[in-house]
Order: sequence, then structure tokens, then C-alpha cells
Amino acid sequence: MIDLLTGMLSTAILAGGVLALAALGEVLAERVGVTNLGVEGLMSMGAVVAIITVVATPNPWLGLLAATLAGAAGGMVFAFATVIVRANQVLCGLAVTFLGLGLSASIGHDYAGVPSPATFGRVPVPGLSSLPVIGPAFFGQNLPVYLIYLVLPAVAHWVMFHTRHGLAMRAVGENPAAADAAGLPVTALRFWYVTLGAGLAGAAGGYLTLTYVPVWSEGLVAGRGWIALALVIFAGYRPFGATLSGLLFGLITALSFVGQARNWPIAPAFLNMLPYLGTIAFIIVPVVVWHRMRRIMAAPAALGVPYHRDVR
Amino acid sequence: MAGTLQRQPTVTPARRLAWRAGAIVTALAITTLFLALSGRDPRLLADLVVRSTVGSRFGLEDLALFLTPLLLTGAAVTVTGRIGVWNIGAEGQFYAGAIGATAIGLFLPGPSWLVLPLMAASGIACGMGWILVPALARAYAGVNEIITTLLLNFVAGLLTTYLAVGPWHDRVTGALASTGRLPVRIPEIWGVVHWGFPIALAIVLGLAWLTTRTSWGYQITVGGANEQAARYAGIPVRARILGVMLLSGGLAALAGMFEVAGTVHRLQGGLANNFGYFGIVVAVLARGSCLNVLPAALLMAFILNAGIVLQTQQLTGSAVLAITGLVLFMIAIADELAHYRPVTVRPVTPRPATRAEVRP
Repeated sequence: MIDLLTGMLSTAILAGGVLALAALGEVLAERVGVTNLGVEGLMSMGAVVAIITVVATPNPWLGLLAATLAGAAGGMVFAFATVIVRANQVLCGLAVTFLGLGLSASIGHDYAGVPSPATFGRVPVPGLSSLPVIGPAFFGQNLPVYLIYLVLPAVAHWVMFHTRHGLAMRAVGENPAAADAAGLPVTALRFWYVTLGAGLAGAAGGYLTLTYVPVWSEGLVAGRGWIALALVIFAGYRPFGATLSGLLFGLITALSFVGQARNWPIAPAFLNMLPYLGTIAFIIVPVVVWHRMRRIMAAPAALGVPYHRDVR
Repeated sequence: MAGTLQRQPTVTPARRLAWRAGAIVTALAITTLFLALSGRDPRLLADLVVRSTVGSRFGLEDLALFLTPLLLTGAAVTVTGRIGVWNIGAEGQFYAGAIGATAIGLFLPGPSWLVLPLMAASGIACGMGWILVPALARAYAGVNEIITTLLLNFVAGLLTTYLAVGPWHDRVTGALASTGRLPVRIPEIWGVVHWGFPIALAIVLGLAWLTTRTSWGYQITVGGANEQAARYAGIPVRARILGVMLLSGGLAALAGMFEVAGTVHRLQGGLANNFGYFGIVVAVLARGSCLNVLPAALLMAFILNAGIVLQTQQLTGSAVLAITGLVLFMIAIADELAHYRPVTVRPVTPRPATRAEVRP
């Protein structure tokens, strides 16, 4: 029983890390007012680029870096279209998803089924990792776990809510006209935060193939990008909210694994549906049950609206 | 005199068409460049594509087979777009329709004139059921429908695969991951093209009439243009959103029923073949007009058919997805750029001050 709980928590943290990282990236983009629906495609690109990189040079950190850069490059293309040209964000996001899924499958064709030659190993924290149940799960993980669950959300939270720059960033997402009038560089802020967010999505894809599912195959991302998009809403557009909801969905994923491992009388297909159904429930139920959640989960006011200085 | 670009609030149809044609040509040029760089002869490929799509009878039949589901999924996404809602879940509703149709087809013996309409009805009901929760959540709680409809696609895909390899698995021929062959089939009218094709055409034309010539269609348009104003004018916007989304789910589901009963004849994983997602592209090309779905679906069917040719040339099928993404991306950019027109600004020449202004 203890073993089971330990294993479940460990899986939850691994599986949740992928979602948490992608959701954090999307929080950055949506806070400046841009919905990037391309997360799924960017993650897919990150996943395949990470595999290709570690096949060439077996260093997982290089793989993660390459995945981040691939995501950021895709994000720049998306940001060019949506922030500079100011094209429709939904269309461009879907286009990036199609492009990312198609391209990653094409360039990853020769790598299908190749196990990743280098993955992030476990780095147990001395002492703490021998604690029962939570020890191996929380303190016996690979290094990026701490980055994803502690460092990145803490930095993002501090910048977003405790610095002048963060105020500027949020203002751009709430009321770009006012931000512009106050002299803030609306276009530049949007462009770079969308790029950074896409970089994190790419990193999430890389993290997926470097730890959790260390082998490339087409359709590997399997909707995790879309789940991450939903988690952003559930997280109320807050960095730690994104991390925690990522962990929660990691738990749901782990639950479906446990069910399969212990031969629960439920077909694996139905257990595999859990993360998707859970996500839908989590964005519908709160606003239906508790009316105040609509305000807490409210999106930035200018989300999805391109900003034209000369059009009021 | 200085030239500058100014954003116009509206774009003439001719102008937009020109920009979009430019976008598609650009996307195809980039694709050709990629193919040439990967060591393939673009001229040979182009020749092959033309011959196996519009240049031969088999090509035309395949084109019609691709066109049938695209017309319906394209129309499904178009009708929701008219009220400002995105149905990204046509893929899932397609599966739901196929499942509903297969359930009747496999387990209800009878003459095909009776079973086929029942299959269609059951499929459509399943498709509507599949979109019901996202539709209710969108209409009455304002929950983002893009994500809820999309996530259900994965559930529907899993359910289809489960049925095809599990309880409905074909035990007679032992075909992998597929149900048995359906005892009934939609009759063919021309080669492999079945009656689903003219029915889909008629449905799209009917929808064009419904959305532009009826008061129901007018309410949808107003609700999509300005929800507050529509509500103030007494239009039940929420009920209309619900109705349109259910209609959309039914249309995508009918595409699934046609595919399973007319083309594939058995339920299997991956049956939807991304038709739901390509329906989004069709709807974007059609820009909210059901009549425009016809040429838009034709273009998409041509791209898919060309993709089959590329697959015979050692390119993965997913290359088509990338090409479609590129086309979509270029069109999104072109649609925005079409708003800009060069205008010449005449600098204001300072006129000499009058005596009244000079006086202190």
C-alpha cells in the first residue's frame, strides 16, 4: 500500500510537471493578452527536437535547451503573426498546432520508436529522500522537477505581482490602450512574453521525452497541450495555480496507471479518458457550483483581442 | 506627399479573395521549396498530383469521397461560427456519429431502406449528445467551448478504439482493431461515390438557405454580431447558441455515419482521419457563409487527395497536416493584411498668419 502511494505520487509529479510547465508558459502569454492555441504543436516540436538532440549528443540538458529554443522559435513565428501583423489568434494558434504536429511527425519519422539515449536521472536529496511515502516522490526526483515546481513559478509570481515590470505586463493584458497611453511598449511586451511562453511549451515537450515517456512516436503529446490550456483557466491565470493544477492532473493520470497496474475492473481505455474528462469537469463545475469563481477565474480583460493603436 | 498604410474597417470580397489566393500560392510555394530541398522533383510531383486528382476518373471519385465528410464537418464548424462559437470538436462528434450508426448497423437486422435512416438518426443523436455538455456549459455558464469540445475528441477516439478492439471486435475474420463489416451499405451512384455525396451537397445548400433566409438564421447572425444587442432585442441568444451547437454536432456526426456506412463499412480506430480538424480549415476558408463551404471543401479535398500522392513518394501522411497548417497560417495573415491600404497623406502647408493672429 505504501509502495503504491509512493509510486503514484512519483508518477503524478512527473506527469504533472509536463502540464505545469506548459501551463506556466501559457499563463505568461495570456497575461499579456494573447491566447496561444498552438501549445500542442509546440510541445510536439519540443518533444521531437529533444530526442534528436540527445541522439546526437547524449546530454539531457542540451536536449531540454534545444526543445526550449524550438518552442521559442515557433512562438516567434506565432507572435509575428498575432502581435505584429495582428492576425486572428484562434486561427494562428490552430495553424501552429497543425504545423507543429505535422512537422514533428515528418522530421521524427526516422526516430519513431527510438528510446531516448539520455534522460534526466534521479538526484535524491540526502536524508529527505528516505522519508516514507513523500521522500522518493518529492525529494528523489530529477533536477528539472525542482525547476518546474519551485523555481520557475516563484520567479514568475514574484515578477508578475511584486515588480513594476509585472504590473506593466499585466496592464498590457488588461487594457492595452491605457498601457500604451502610459508609455508601455505593448507590442514588445506581448511579443517577448508570447515567445517566452512558447519556449516553456517546447521545454514541456522536451521534458516529456527526456523523463516521463522517453521514446518518440507520432501523437506522443496526446492532447497534453490542450489540457495545459484548460489548466490555465482553472488556475485563474496565476503561476502557482498552474503548477498546482498540473500536479492535480498528474495525480489523475497516476490514478489511471494505478488502476491498470492493479487490474481494476475498468477497461484501460476508460481510465485513459480520465485526464480529459477531469479537465472538462474542472473548468465547468467551479463556475456552475460557485458563482464567485467566475470572478476568481476571470481572464485578462483584453485576452484574444489584437491591439490596434489607431482603432478605438 | 508621403505614402502610408492605413487600416480599413472593412474589406471588399474581391480584395480578400486576391489576398487569400496570394496566401495559398505562398504556402504551396514554401511546400514546393521544402520538397525540392529534400531532393524531390517538384515538377514530377505536381504532374503526379494533377493526374491522380482531377486528371483521372479514379482521382475524381476519390475527390468526391474526400469532399463528402469535409462538406459536413465544414458546415458544422461554419454554423457555430455564425453565432461566434468555435466547435473544435467536430472530430469527436464524427466518431460519436460513427459509433451510433455502427451500433444500429451491427445489431439491428433489417432491410437497408429501414436500417440506413435509423443508423443516420442514431448517429446524429449520438453526435448531439457528444456536444451537449460543452454546449450547455457555453450557453448557460460561459465556459470556453474551444477547450471543452476539443478535449472530448480524445475521449471519442479512445472510445472508438476501445469498441473496435474490445466488445465490438470482429471475431470472424480476426481483422485487427476493427469491427465486423456492416451488413448494410449506402448504395453507390458513380463508381465508389455513394449517395452521401449528393445528400451532403443538398444539406449544405439547405443550411445556406436556413442561415440567410429565415428568421432563425437572422437571430443567429445578430446573436453572433452583438450578443448584448441581440438579447436586448428579445432574441433568446442562449437557446440559439445551444441549438446551433447541437445542429453542428449532428452535422459532424452525419459525416461519421456516411464514412462508416458508405466508405469504410466498418468501425475502426482513426476512422475520422482528421476530417473534424480539416472541417475547421474549411470553415475558416468559407468565412461563415454556408455557400462558400462548397469551394472551400473542394480546395481542402484537393489538398488531402494530393497528400495521398505525396505518401506514395515516401512522405509521411502527417506532411499533409503541416501543409494544411501552413495554408491556414498564411490565410490568417492575409486576412489581416487585406485590411491595409496605402493612402497618401498631404502635408498641411502652413498658411501665412493673418493680421488678426499676429496682433497680441
